[in-house]
Amino acid sequence: MSAFFKVSSLGVDIGDAGILRNINLEFREGEVTALLGHNGSGKSTLLKVLARQLSPSSGEVSVLGTSFNSTGAREFARIVGYLPQHPPGTDGLTVRELVALGRYPWRGPLGRYNEDDHQLIDQAIDDTGLRHFQHRSVDTLSGGERQRAWIAMLLAQQTRCLLLDEPISALDVKHQVETLRLVHRLAEERELTVIVVLHDVDLAARFCDRLVALKTGEFVADGSPREIMDSGILETIYGVPMGVMERAPGQWVSYVH
Amino acid sequence: MYADTSTLPLARPTIPATLPIAAVILWLGALFASATPWLNQLDPIAILSAFWTFNPDQYASVLAHYSWAPRVSIAMLIGCGLGLAGAVTQQILGNPLASPTTLGVEAGGQFGVTVATLFAPGLLAFSPDLAAIGGGLLAIGLVIALTWRLGFSPVTVILAGLVITFFLGAMNMAFLLLKGEWLGNLYIWGAGSLVQNNWGPFMDLWPRVLVLAILMLLLMRPLQLLQLGQASASSLGARVGLIRVLALLLVVLMSTTVVSRVGVVAFIGLAAPVLARLLGARTLGSRLLWSTVMGGGLLLLADTLAHWASTWGDGSLVPTGTTTALIGGPVILLALQGLRNTHHMPGQESSPAGFQPKRRSPVIISGVIVTLLLATIVISMGWSPGLDGWNWTPISQWHEAWVWRGPRLLAATLAGVALGLAGTLIQRMTGNPMGSPEMLGISGGAALVMVMIVLSGLEVGRAGQLGAATLGAAAALGLLILLARKHRFAGNQLLLGGLALYVFMDAGLRLVMASGGTVAAQLLNWMYGSTWLTSENEAFGLMAFIVLICGLLCLVVRPLTLLPLGDTSASALGLPVAKARLLLLLVAAVLTASATVVIGPLSFVGLIAPHLARVLGQQTVGRQMIVAALVGGLLLAAADYLSRIVVYPGQLPAGLLAALVGGVYFLWGLSRHGRA
Repeated sequence: MSAFFKVSSLGVDIGDAGILRNINLEFREGEVTALLGHNGSGKSTLLKVLARQLSPSSGEVSVLGTSFNSTGAREFARIVGYLPQHPPGTDGLTVRELVALGRYPWRGPLGRYNEDDHQLIDQAIDDTGLRHFQHRSVDTLSGGERQRAWIAMLLAQQTRCLLLDEPISALDVKHQVETLRLVHRLAEERELTVIVVLHDVDLAARFCDRLVALKTGEFVADGSPREIMDSGILETIYGVPMGVMERAPGQWVSYVH
Repeated sequence: MYADTSTLPLARPTIPATLPIAAVILWLGALFASATPWLNQLDPIAILSAFWTFNPDQYASVLAHYSWAPRVSIAMLIGCGLGLAGAVTQQILGNPLASPTTLGVEAGGQFGVTVATLFAPGLLAFSPDLAAIGGGLLAIGLVIALTWRLGFSPVTVILAGLVITFFLGAMNMAFLLLKGEWLGNLYIWGAGSLVQNNWGPFMDLWPRVLVLAILMLLLMRPLQLLQLGQASASSLGARVGLIRVLALLLVVLMSTTVVSRVGVVAFIGLAAPVLARLLGARTLGSRLLWSTVMGGGLLLLADTLAHWASTWGDGSLVPTGTTTALIGGPVILLALQGLRNTHHMPGQESSPAGFQPKRRSPVIISGVIVTLLLATIVISMGWSPGLDGWNWTPISQWHEAWVWRGPRLLAATLAGVALGLAGTLIQRMTGNPMGSPEMLGISGGAALVMVMIVLSGLEVGRAGQLGAATLGAAAALGLLILLARKHRFAGNQLLLGGLALYVFMDAGLRLVMASGGTVAAQLLNWMYGSTWLTSENEAFGLMAFIVLICGLLCLVVRPLTLLPLGDTSASALGLPVAKARLLLLLVAAVLTASATVVIGPLSFVGLIAPHLARVLGQQTVGRQMIVAALVGGLLLAAADYLSRIVVYPGQLPAGLLAALVGGVYFLWGLSRHGRA
């Protein structure tokens, strides 16, 4: 598999504070990667850099072999979709209207939506199980449904990569699992590259192919769930003594001593 | 699978029927009202045909063709243009209260024309648009610079717009006082008069409005993305900054083109989109469409009202700008009811950038300011220009000079103290660094009563004015309390209520300006804070009062620290939130009213003093209050002294000086923080 994103000697400073220091990473195509780390470790910042929301203070990022600087805004948006941690209120938009906005990178300010666009929008709504809600105002939906509506918008965007910033932090367990399962399934069906910031290590190990961990702005661990789900490594990442049990193949439970 | 689906709507939501019905009623009503005076002279078909032809043998027909029809057409055209511009502005800023008026664009356009009239009349002859566009761009640039780092939260943007409007108004006023003979006509124009006597202006205007409208519509889809917030919009490939700049530029062009031709037609750009939204226009496309339609109808109605008022009144001209402002006030109040969550609006970043506040010793800072204040008092009492140059008045003669210099100086200082305190209270209470008594509308309430007295032609003495102003302030306060009770006296709603009051005051002022004469000059003197009107008794009365209030303030320091944590946290900590807010509100209002009668409603002291105290490193409530009070006193004492000597032997109003200097400081200070 080839590298989708290539990050080399990346550094980000905000004011005097160094948020990220000397990050070298590659994200492979078609892989679901979780970014782990304590609060303030810089994982959301890294995701923002990948989404081009934030320009790095030093270092280089390229997508599919081309440097970030030489990709146009809409061209980039056809490759990479980004879901911010707190999507704003949408002021009366219906689900369908929200999802339709995902076609903007392809149609631009003036292009007409054709039959294909409407099919893609329908497809995205169906994939996220929102058919019954499509004419409801997004603001009136519950947290989990709203999250799915935004993911549907990203799907309609038809990108090859999804960047999700803590997509499940405000959801209950059922919706957390449903959302991650959805992401995982979509990634498989559509061969998407997914990078997702998560706080829950167990869920990350359950649903992701690869775990990458940051600590105070530096890269500390990278590997398959089997490699990372180890009490020693988890202790390095979070700074508290932790233990891990493997209940069944591919299902780990971590706990704090 | 996920929920009970039986209650869910199955079809696309459609526009409620009330919207088109309301629009049709508005248009037909306005058209009919506008045509009524002609009905007994012409038959309906002749009236209708006045838009394209006339009967040269019939005087009424000629009049209708060259006066009535172009006026109706231009009202509709401008109304539509401003309605569209308002809807676009609201979308750009994700702000249901944004409009060309509330962002200061129209005031900027007016300012540009004033400056051009005085200093580059050739430019006006070449193209009236250029000066207005320059002024409008200046205003919106200032507003954006002010709010850049504070996140474009709705209330902050509106307050910054108000500050700019006040500031540019004060500049206009300074020009009027210094070069009044040139600008008399400008003020009738400035108040927005749609009187026409041929089709020329309309023919001139419609292509511009049309082109700008088409350009705005071309930006519709990118504008829609802004609703998703900066992060999502840019991850969809939209250049958010570019879209905002382009769209704002179009808005500025549209509103200033209108301003340069007919003057400030305030609040149509606000009222039309708000109405459209309240009546159920939901998607961007329908909001743009219906705002345009509503704007045309509203302005036609407002213009008809103005026309009627001019005809039925004593023949003096009632500018359309006045009636639009009268419509605008209630609409803001309406919007206020519908505006629940002012802290987090769509498309808005949630976290403003913070900066590490410095702390400094209050003793040293207060010491320095007290020294400066004393020095100002000494200089003000002693060192002054006379007929034979500058000279010192020896201390032995101070008791003789006191009558002339003492009361006004004392009153100015105390007014400054009061405003500093009130400003701190309000900024802490509302958690908004742009809040101030000027903005709360208490000053506006006092001014409104003064305007009404002048308009009614009653002859009241100084005492009568004082009483009336206090009454006005109290009434404004009462209204605010009534309004705010619903929202548990929450800060932002209060500020918006204040905005509505300011709109009414503005309407009255325009009327007085347009009528001109000596009453206007009198009112202007008071409005811009002429301290020389103060008597010795008043000054001492004010002093006793301020001392009393200061004692009371010691009680509220703690609650004031708790309130910004939010209602929930504050009441969880055992603070009776509603009661505490009511008390604070009362104190702030009383302080403001007592200062307003001395210094007028428009000085920036209540806004600047608390801000300056923060910059000087006073971060806790108690310290900020003390230093803000001292700074306020110092500012107005200095302003009073300067107002006496700058154009000696003439006098400038001290409040105007304070507003000019304060406005400049404020802009500079905030831009400096923006860089930090």
